Amino acid sequence: MIRNVSRLVRKTKEKKPHVQKNHDDSKPQDTLHKNYYQNVETFRSVYNNCSDVMFRPFLLFGKTKATIIYIKGLTNIEGIEEFVLSPLMNEPNNVPSSINEFLENKMPVSTVIRVNMLADCIESISSGNPILLIEGESAGFSLGLAKWEKRGIEEPIAEGGIRGSREGFNESLEINTSQLRRIIKSPALKIQSMKIGNYTKTTVAVAYIDGLVDQTLIEEITNRLKKIEIDGILESGYIEEMIEDNPYSPFPQIMSTERPDIACANLLEGRAVIIVEGTPFTLIAPISFFSLIQSHEDYYQRFMVGTFIRWLRFVFLGISLLLPSLYVAILTFHHEAVPTSLLLSISASREAVPFPAIVEALIMEITFEALREAGVRLPKQIGSAVSIVGALVIGQASVQAGLVSAPMVIVVAITGIASFMMPRYVAGIALRMLRFPMILLAGTLGLLGIMMGVIAIVIHLCSLRSFGIPYLSPLAPLKGRELKDVLWRAPWWMMDTRPRLTGESNLYRQAPEQAPNPKRGSETE
Amino acid sequence: MEKGKISALQMAIMMYPTIVATAILGVPSITAKYAQNDLWLAPIFASFIGYVTVYIAYKLHKLYPKQSVIQFSEYIIGRFLGKILGFLYLFFYIQVTGEIIREYAEFIVDSFLVRTPISVIMASMAFLCAFIVYGGIEVIARAAQLFFPLFVFPILILIILVLPDFEFKNIFPILADGIWPPMKGAIVPGGWFTEFFMIIFLLPFIKDRKKGMKYGMITAFAVMMTLVVVNLVVLFVFGPATASKVYPLMNVARYISIAEFFEHFESVVMAIWIVGTFIKISVFYYVTALSTAQWLNLSDYRPIVWPIGILLVVFCFWSIPNTLEIERFNIGVFPLYGFIVQTIIPLLLVVMAVFRKRKSKETV
Repeated sequence: MIRNVSRLVRKTKEKKPHVQKNHDDSKPQDTLHKNYYQNVETFRSVYNNCSDVMFRPFLLFGKTKATIIYIKGLTNIEGIEEFVLSPLMNEPNNVPSSINEFLENKMPVSTVIRVNMLADCIESISSGNPILLIEGESAGFSLGLAKWEKRGIEEPIAEGGIRGSREGFNESLEINTSQLRRIIKSPALKIQSMKIGNYTKTTVAVAYIDGLVDQTLIEEITNRLKKIEIDGILESGYIEEMIEDNPYSPFPQIMSTERPDIACANLLEGRAVIIVEGTPFTLIAPISFFSLIQSHEDYYQRFMVGTFIRWLRFVFLGISLLLPSLYVAILTFHHEAVPTSLLLSISASREAVPFPAIVEALIMEITFEALREAGVRLPKQIGSAVSIVGALVIGQASVQAGLVSAPMVIVVAITGIASFMMPRYVAGIALRMLRFPMILLAGTLGLLGIMMGVIAIVIHLCSLRSFGIPYLSPLAPLKGRELKDVLWRAPWWMMDTRPRLTGESNLYRQAPEQAPNPKRGSETE
Repeated sequence: MEKGKISALQMAIMMYPTIVATAILGVPSITAKYAQNDLWLAPIFASFIGYVTVYIAYKLHKLYPKQSVIQFSEYIIGRFLGKILGFLYLFFYIQVTGEIIREYAEFIVDSFLVRTPISVIMASMAFLCAFIVYGGIEVIARAAQLFFPLFVFPILILIILVLPDFEFKNIFPILADGIWPPMKGAIVPGGWFTEFFMIIFLLPFIKDRKKGMKYGMITAFAVMMTLVVVNLVVLFVFGPATASKVYPLMNVARYISIAEFFEHFESVVMAIWIVGTFIKISVFYYVTALSTAQWLNLSDYRPIVWPIGILLVVFCFWSIPNTLEIERFNIGVFPLYGFIVQTIIPLLLVVMAVFRKRKSKETV
């Protein structure tokens, strides 16, 4: 209620600057004028000071005036020359009676759309499709000749792997949707698109499989997307933050991926994929916490290997969150919990260290985070310098100088590796961030503090939802049947049921009892 | 008030640590004082109180399916008396919750964080519980579900690890002094079993209503089994010395030694035990907050969660002036107090409610 009111207030307040700002589509309801010259004049004033927009006037069939408007670099210029200008400029023996008919039937261009509204014309021009204005016509013609430089399909950088497809999404929406369509050929794959961003007019597409997805989920997603009023969308991260359930959470409630196979696997499980123009990272919703620690390769390798790696991840998830704080807690409060021989060697190496364990841990953890961040952001040529400085100066020299103890360096190193075990980078970051309050708690209350921190995190996770789905979903609330894909990775012939996102209907995804059981026919003599 | 829904299984998983968490800590030694080497029989007798309480709570729930005891007591004994009874329950749960938090904090301060002010430990726990109570019953249920294996499996592992130290002959002679010592020993654990009455506050939120009774009984049985096993373990390890230990299970953990490297598991046991206690306090806290809201006819209990948290921490000091009082309260007061409030009064309510319903049917 209050939110609605404040929304209303905000809207009335913002109305004025809003109109002023968007002079490019100041009167979006305007239709094109009947007068050709006035239309050209309108476009010239709209594209005033836009040196990349080209106006090319010519004589249609040698007598009618016409102008083609396009943007350099967004439009296929050879196509304009070959398929538009050359057929339209030569003077045919028998001039076609209707221009409309000629354009629709005889022009060798894949799409020709009659556009009446000024705003639609502008949109068409901005997306690379030239507009043809003709004297005597009160409409423009949008010609499907968009073409711009794109990056080719490359291997996904952030999500590598040994087995599985090597193709990744890229920045072009069309290429991304085509990749989905190439994997899921059924027409049940639906892709709805909309434009978001007052200035960028970014195309955002919601893909789902009809019949598998809960239709209310798609409604909810499109509603939340429609509510976004923003200047521009540059990356799917904008959308993610605008539509997630709990904005004040370190944990991502929407997953991002740049792998088409991951996107398709999720589509097939009844989830929705949101593709944003201009970024290879597509969004997947709804997810649970366990989606973040599943990797695509779990499903491609043998199931025992997949299960083993999954458990390894669970263990290292714990390590990445708790190891430094456990070390601090034990050294500060619970000496007795360490076996005597181990305690002796630890305290021997800590003898020269001037700091208490908690300070030591914080120093090393922060240094590690700095090294990591610097390594990501740096140009590749300098990257090796950072790793040398990190390993030699900070690692070895600080131990030799007696500033930091060697066990602490080991702990921090293991923790660092552990946090990179998470297949989703964002989830790893969330845990890395939570490590610092955990260290502080461990330094003040020992094991009790750690337990308090863990309990607090669990409470938070329990109260989180991703598009209505509880975040810890198959585990709490417990859904026994779905544990086959959480606690272990069941072999494919056992994955008979879909996750229960889709509702009770359409529960089975494959025929039951497909376990390979070949008769040993050849051995009979 | 509360829009969340839980399953009967979730209720069982919430109730189990609610009873067991504190019961496995101090109760074995108290039982041992009265029952000596028959202490393992005491929970079996005590559990009958549990079954009866579950049955009474379920009966009341069936008569008034959408309400808790705070609400329907007004229908049964009239508005004015009902409010008084409601206040009695309110006061009971606030005070008992305060007592539990105090017991928890005393244990932590006694055994681990000797120099930490006790109020810090109590306040931090109350804060965490307020956090989860604010999240609602669904969040508590999910957290309980998640922590349940964390709480149960380590106890099983602990038992396996101390197996080499078992002296099985400690169990003999069985019932040397007749049946009375274990019966006397059952009085104190009986107090814990009366806490099953709290399911009356959870039952209205259960999806699969019919299973409420079944899972309540299963929980009571599971608690009984756990206590029997814990008492047996303590008896096997310490024998006649059990009664002299304050926290026998914790002392058992000290006996663990694997390859002379993994030793001194007390802090691990403590960490695990905190999880159970956390669930216990959360459930009590939730019941307190919910019943207060119901008593005041509030539309939501969330606004009063934080004030009640402060009240609970204050009650930690008010209800128990010093450490000695805890044991006195647990032995001398709670078995009777809990029994009256959580079993006898509900029993009377059932009788009156059945009577009333029959009467109103006759008049119609």
